[in-house]
Amino acid sequence: MLTCDTYHTPHSLAEALELWSKAPEGSRIVAGATDILPWARDGRAGDVHVPELIDVTRISELDGYTVQNGRVRLGAGTVYQDFLTEQTLMRYLPCMPYCSIWFADDQIRAQASLTGNLVNASPAADGTPAVVALNGEIELARLDGEDIVRRLIPVVDFIRGPGQTQLTKDEIATAVVLDTAQGYGGSFQKVGLRRSLVISVACAAGLVKADHDGRLFEDVRLAVGGVGPRPIRLLEVEQSLKGERISHDLIEQVAQAATDTVGSRSRQEYRREVIVNFVRAAIEDALTNQPNVNISFEDAREEHYA
Amino acid sequence: MPKLTITANVNGRKISRETQPFSRLLDFLREDLNLTGAKEGCGAGECGTCSVFVDGTLVKSCLMPAAKAQGTRIETIEGLAKPGSLTVLQKAFHKTGASQCGYCIPGMVMAATSALRENPNADIEEIKERLGGNICRCTGYTKIFEAVEMTKAILAGDSPESVLEEDKVGDSYIGANVRRLDAPSKVSGRLKYAADIKMYDMLQMQVLRSPFAHATIRSIDTHEAEAMDGVACVITADDVPGNDGFGVFVHDQPIMARGKVRHVGEAVAAVAAEDVLTARRALSKIKVEYEALPGLYDPSEAMKPDAPIIHDYAPDNLIKHIPIRKGDIEKGFAEADIILEDDFSTQQVEHAYLEPEAGIAYVDPDDVVVVISPSQNITHHRHMLAEIIAKPINKVRFIMSPVGGGFGGKEDMIYQGMLALGAMKTHRPVQLNFTREESLIASAKRHPARIHYKMGLKLDGRLTAISFDMLSDGGAYGMSSEGVMRKAAILSCGPYKVDNVNIDTRAVYTNNTPSGAFRTFGGMQAQFATESMMDMAAETLGMDPFAIRRINMMTIGATTHTQQTLETASLDRVLAAAETASRWEKGAPTVRGSERRDLCGPDTRQSCTLGARIKTNHNNPRFCAQVA
Repeated sequence: MLTCDTYHTPHSLAEALELWSKAPEGSRIVAGATDILPWARDGRAGDVHVPELIDVTRISELDGYTVQNGRVRLGAGTVYQDFLTEQTLMRYLPCMPYCSIWFADDQIRAQASLTGNLVNASPAADGTPAVVALNGEIELARLDGEDIVRRLIPVVDFIRGPGQTQLTKDEIATAVVLDTAQGYGGSFQKVGLRRSLVISVACAAGLVKADHDGRLFEDVRLAVGGVGPRPIRLLEVEQSLKGERISHDLIEQVAQAATDTVGSRSRQEYRREVIVNFVRAAIEDALTNQPNVNISFEDAREEHYA
Repeated sequence: MPKLTITANVNGRKISRETQPFSRLLDFLREDLNLTGAKEGCGAGECGTCSVFVDGTLVKSCLMPAAKAQGTRIETIEGLAKPGSLTVLQKAFHKTGASQCGYCIPGMVMAATSALRENPNADIEEIKERLGGNICRCTGYTKIFEAVEMTKAILAGDSPESVLEEDKVGDSYIGANVRRLDAPSKVSGRLKYAADIKMYDMLQMQVLRSPFAHATIRSIDTHEAEAMDGVACVITADDVPGNDGFGVFVHDQPIMARGKVRHVGEAVAAVAAEDVLTARRALSKIKVEYEALPGLYDPSEAMKPDAPIIHDYAPDNLIKHIPIRKGDIEKGFAEADIILEDDFSTQQVEHAYLEPEAGIAYVDPDDVVVVISPSQNITHHRHMLAEIIAKPINKVRFIMSPVGGGFGGKEDMIYQGMLALGAMKTHRPVQLNFTREESLIASAKRHPARIHYKMGLKLDGRLTAISFDMLSDGGAYGMSSEGVMRKAAILSCGPYKVDNVNIDTRAVYTNNTPSGAFRTFGGMQAQFATESMMDMAAETLGMDPFAIRRINMMTIGATTHTQQTLETASLDRVLAAAETASRWEKGAPTVRGSERRDLCGPDTRQSCTLGARIKTNHNNPRFCAQVA
């Protein structure tokens, strides 16, 4: 059971930063609150009392998104469901809808923010690999006197380990900035205990761009989560595919090679096997999902779909 | 503590009400506004019994701080239709029988309403995805999806509203679609389960549970808790006035731990206070001194001579042994051409009914102790409680509240006694609503079983002998173990004729969570082993699995292992139906993989995918389309 003395609902970022800098030790920022409420229950943190909760979801400056110079800036108010309803975001960030559909359920997605998911820094967070594949940065704001000072950190560095980030005292995460990847095919892979509403055991995000003829890999982005304390970008796999002829054999080869990156301490063998399948499926699904290109595999084989 | 005033539009009516700054929207609706249609099935966003609309968007109200509802428009199950009427969707739930226990139904109706509002043309895959955050444990979802599709068709004008009317019943009710009488109360959220009921001046109870699996209780100091403002009483085993012990067969379980604890999660003390928060804070002030005892966690260790003893009355840790002997087992195996032998094990299973345990007790003006709870066994509970609280039977009354799913899990009286003691000590109504976590840790589970199986057969597939030896983990208390062992023994060899059988089923005490009643009552564990053995026998003998079952099936006139002569038998028809429905290719069940043509048919469950709504936005053909 989560209890607090005061629940603040600031309407501007300046007000929120002011409250946050003065909040007593142990106070918390909340966005969707879909993680903090289940956390304060028996079996996890148990009953927790915090002095203040500062809700940042009524701050209009954190709403919405902008697209500029090949980057999408998502305000911290962006929730997972937006990636399934906003056509612009679906087009520019093609792995996000697939990530989103595997994240919790429609009701939780309507509340849960991408920024909050990154700040919680769970190794199993679904959003992390998708954001890392999109060369994501997180924007952090703090007050310097009257001024709001902001800095950007690549998400792959921002997350230092389970629950640990580079967020310093008095800072609030205000946005996530991502590459636009229009024309790419996107994909998301997830292993969990059931279909809906489940935390990932491991997950992976893929972005692939084939040439017009669907014969060559022009660009590939792959990231995995849940296999180590930090998100992992599979740069070697990406490099070994770029410019190459698209074939099942090549995909299989790089998938096998990718297992060396697995750093998880638990269930290593299982996760290694998962990685091979993830990398293969992430590339193949992304190829399938690339708009307006028919992929031609060098070693095309008949697929059975019942 | 500063209060929070929430002003919002709830079901079309403007309200302004004070609540705690940390209240969740679910608490605000249920406690401050008395809108109890939204339920608390898990409190962690997993089950969807609390789904409501906030500004037109469906949310899980257990995951939303009430403060977020400030200035919003809230719609709950109570507001979907005008009082006394039902929406098309609610009527469709009534028609298809989508509500059974009903506890998930308000949330399920909300989720289905949302799905059709978001996309009136959603196909079945998208409907399933959109309902993915709501769990039902009764229906298997089929009737719920039928109701949503029926509604979709009516709203689209593809189907007349008359399909909602009850089907005409012909000469027989058997096979007729009869609507449930209680469905309107469930689909509208009006039905009051135990946790939805409020009584004037009612206290809230919370329970202190053991962190130890096996430990002696040296002392319990409740002084500090009792002295707290808002605490009405603290109860322990010392408050039991009569013969403390309950159980479906053997009365081996005290209302609260007496002298020692036998499993993690066993009740040790309970507090009744003005509100849940005060009661929970009081629990942390109760000091219990434990002395850990060696624990027993493996049922195969339980019957060894030096095993820890869980109950003094049972030094061998045996709860019940059911032996069945028929024919001559040695002769049966001697006659066999082949003998197969194998071991099987099954796991603990939680019922996970959507309604966590809940109840209210009060003492009425005539000194009758009244307990309201979703008990599956109220008459037995009443008799046991009368003994425990030393009252004549006419001074104990049990009222069965609607059961939000039981499946056997609510047969045991694991909390009603504490409620009664709290009411007797305070003379105020006392309510106890379990959290989901508490329900998981404290309620009985399906018996984990280990079965050693030996089966003798002739080369033509006829069974000559079965030796069946089952060891079940009964956990810390007897509960329904005896009955479960009896049923497992009766059903052990399946519906097959065997002249020579040797059956032993045993349940033993351990320090694991108690095992109790659960659908099939031991039959499932036994059948898992028997049917697996039948398949393996078919494989070994190169026979068709349907054929080997037909050779051995009991028919009219057969005598069961327990000497019952069958006057009816239907296995031949069951096998025929299963064979047709599965499009079974005759032959031994050896692995032929992709050569099999009876796999992946149109009614086979497809592998797990998501994204129906994304895929409809794409015109990109699948790989297979190019190949074809």
